[in-house]
Amino acid sequence: MAQSAGPRRSRIFRGGSDINPSWHYWMVYLLPGLLIYIFFMAWPLVDSVRVSFYQTGEGIRRFVGFSNYITLFTDPILKERFWGAFRHTWLFFAIHMCVQNVLGIFFATILTNKTMRGVRAYQIILFLPVTLSILVTGYLWKLLLNPVWTGSVFESMGLGFLSQPYLGMENIALPVISLVSCWQWVGLPTMMFFAALQGISEEVIEAASLEGCSGWQMFRFIQLPLIMPIVGIIAILTFVNNFNAFDVVYAMEGPSGPPNYSTDIIGTFFYRLGIAGEHPVAIPNPGLGATLATVIFVMLTIFVVPTLIKTQREA
Amino acid sequence: MKKLLVLMLAVLAFVSLVSGVIAADVTLVMGSWRADDVDAMNELFAAYEEASGVKIEFKPTNPTDYNATLRTQLEAGTAPDLMYARSYATGADLYKNGFFAKVNDLEGLDAAFSADYLAPWTADGDVFAVPIQAVNAAVYYNKDIFAEVGLEIPTTFEELLDAAQKLQDAGYVPFANGIADNWDILECLFLGMVPSWIGGADVRAEYENGEKLMNDEVWVKAYADLAKLAPFFPKGFESVTYNDSQALFATGKAAMFADGSWNISVYDDADFDLGFFAIPAPAGMETRMQFHPDAAIAMNPATKYPEEARAFLAWLCSQDGTDTLAKYLPAGFFPYTLNKVELADVHAKEMLALGDGKANDARFVWPKMIDLYTPMLEACNGVLKGSMDPQAAADSVQAAWEALTAK
Repeated sequence: MAQSAGPRRSRIFRGGSDINPSWHYWMVYLLPGLLIYIFFMAWPLVDSVRVSFYQTGEGIRRFVGFSNYITLFTDPILKERFWGAFRHTWLFFAIHMCVQNVLGIFFATILTNKTMRGVRAYQIILFLPVTLSILVTGYLWKLLLNPVWTGSVFESMGLGFLSQPYLGMENIALPVISLVSCWQWVGLPTMMFFAALQGISEEVIEAASLEGCSGWQMFRFIQLPLIMPIVGIIAILTFVNNFNAFDVVYAMEGPSGPPNYSTDIIGTFFYRLGIAGEHPVAIPNPGLGATLATVIFVMLTIFVVPTLIKTQREA
Repeated sequence: MKKLLVLMLAVLAFVSLVSGVIAADVTLVMGSWRADDVDAMNELFAAYEEASGVKIEFKPTNPTDYNATLRTQLEAGTAPDLMYARSYATGADLYKNGFFAKVNDLEGLDAAFSADYLAPWTADGDVFAVPIQAVNAAVYYNKDIFAEVGLEIPTTFEELLDAAQKLQDAGYVPFANGIADNWDILECLFLGMVPSWIGGADVRAEYENGEKLMNDEVWVKAYADLAKLAPFFPKGFESVTYNDSQALFATGKAAMFADGSWNISVYDDADFDLGFFAIPAPAGMETRMQFHPDAAIAMNPATKYPEEARAFLAWLCSQDGTDTLAKYLPAGFFPYTLNKVELADVHAKEMLALGDGKANDARFVWPKMIDLYTPMLEACNGVLKGSMDPQAAADSVQAAWEALTAK
């Protein structure tokens, strides 16, 4: 990006030609990051792909080829759990896109309004939940949503019908959890959109309003196209974070996705399959866990790369 | 110079020899899933150290992670010297993989335990752990509320329903139980009903070997009766967790709570009179209780101190060991032995006495059908929520069993 022209002008630059510095010069700067990346990201990733071809039995790990993949997609129970978790994860992601990110853009647009008072206060209110631990907020929401503890409050307001066991209702539990997660994280996209909107040149905005541009037109034809790269980045971050989500469901429902697996997402399914095992036997299957992780990795790549290319081309 | 060196070497050798002798002051490490029991177990081990000079360090893991953690430790060779072993298949798998030492010929084992007692920790005819504790489950009840509403302890299931109705009319939540945590409803309530509704160990064997089917009429009745309790659970019981249930009961909002014995001490500070009764069988049937082998202690075959570890296990078999367990095990964990058991805690004593003279049994699915745990849990949730009728619930469990045995 902008800094890439830097080294040519650098005074401390030594070795190679001005235009084409020798490789070991760059290596010194790259090495620490590269090593950390290799040891903590690339190697575990490759190794988990390797583990997915193994199965542990009787204390011995042996190569089994693709049989873990075949089991994951053909065993009647695992298959049902996998596609269930897959569906729920998409729903979880869709709710975040529709609620969290749309609200994020909405709030950011309002916050950039120059005539509004108390912008700071609103920013803090919106961002505050982000700084809290999801385990804490998840637990608080769990109590708030429990008719045993809040039912009498609703009834005293004449809203007794609102007091329902939301987290125990099969079709409602997951959307409710997603909304709690949206509430928690909405400050992040708001801040990113806010920064992007602030970055739009005053002249463009001024010229547009002189030409008689309405508020909506301004947003739709001036601001939105200019922040498209940020929209893309946020979409990708939301996608990746949601496909790796685990904590909010774990905090509010535990690892087994109750009621009746309706809140089971890929994160909780992976936790049961590869790390903790299923209560009460609780013996995990690292081979199958690695298989699931590999499948998810491939899926994420398939979805992320085109989105990245499409939204970042212009940037 | 050379002399000095020799001298130094000699001193060094002597020091290491002495420190070797001192190191014989052994410390054994014990793994466990009972993270709540650290204080109690440390007192127990202090008592053992006084008697034997061997120190034991208690290193528990979070209960839900124990099996996975232990397996990883065993495979990596970093496992503790002694460790809690789960009953039945979970423990047996580890023995078959060579991770538990065989303890058949342990001194005093046969005197303290019958084959029945050892069965949960026996695989291929070998005993791999020494039982320490069992738990049971019953209905906890608030004696003050019962007195206020004018209720007696129900002796049949019909009387229980009747009592629940009266409690509800009086404005109390009859049962504190909920289903959000997905284990307590099965382990504490339904599998507490099963010995009475279905039968004891002999009848269980008939289901295990396929002579009887788990969708026969007694099972359908068990699910139907379970469903009759749902209206007496808290409003919104679908999202009531185990902690919520405890809080409801402890604060006197709920009058009864079907729970395991391990929670007796939770209510030590409650300001009401606590009582217990066995979940009563329907009229004309015999009331039995769940009495579940919970934990045994196994030893690591790769331990550095096999003699000391074995000596500890042998001590557990002795009357002295039983007395120490009875004294220090947390209330509600009952020493599981033929030795004489004298409990100190009044409530624990009362709860254990509930099982006297009854044909009690382990939790139905544990011995041979542990894979039915989840299907049966789902069946219970289904009938309680009303999304399954009792026949469909029983059918789903039988179908799950057939699918599992066909594999």
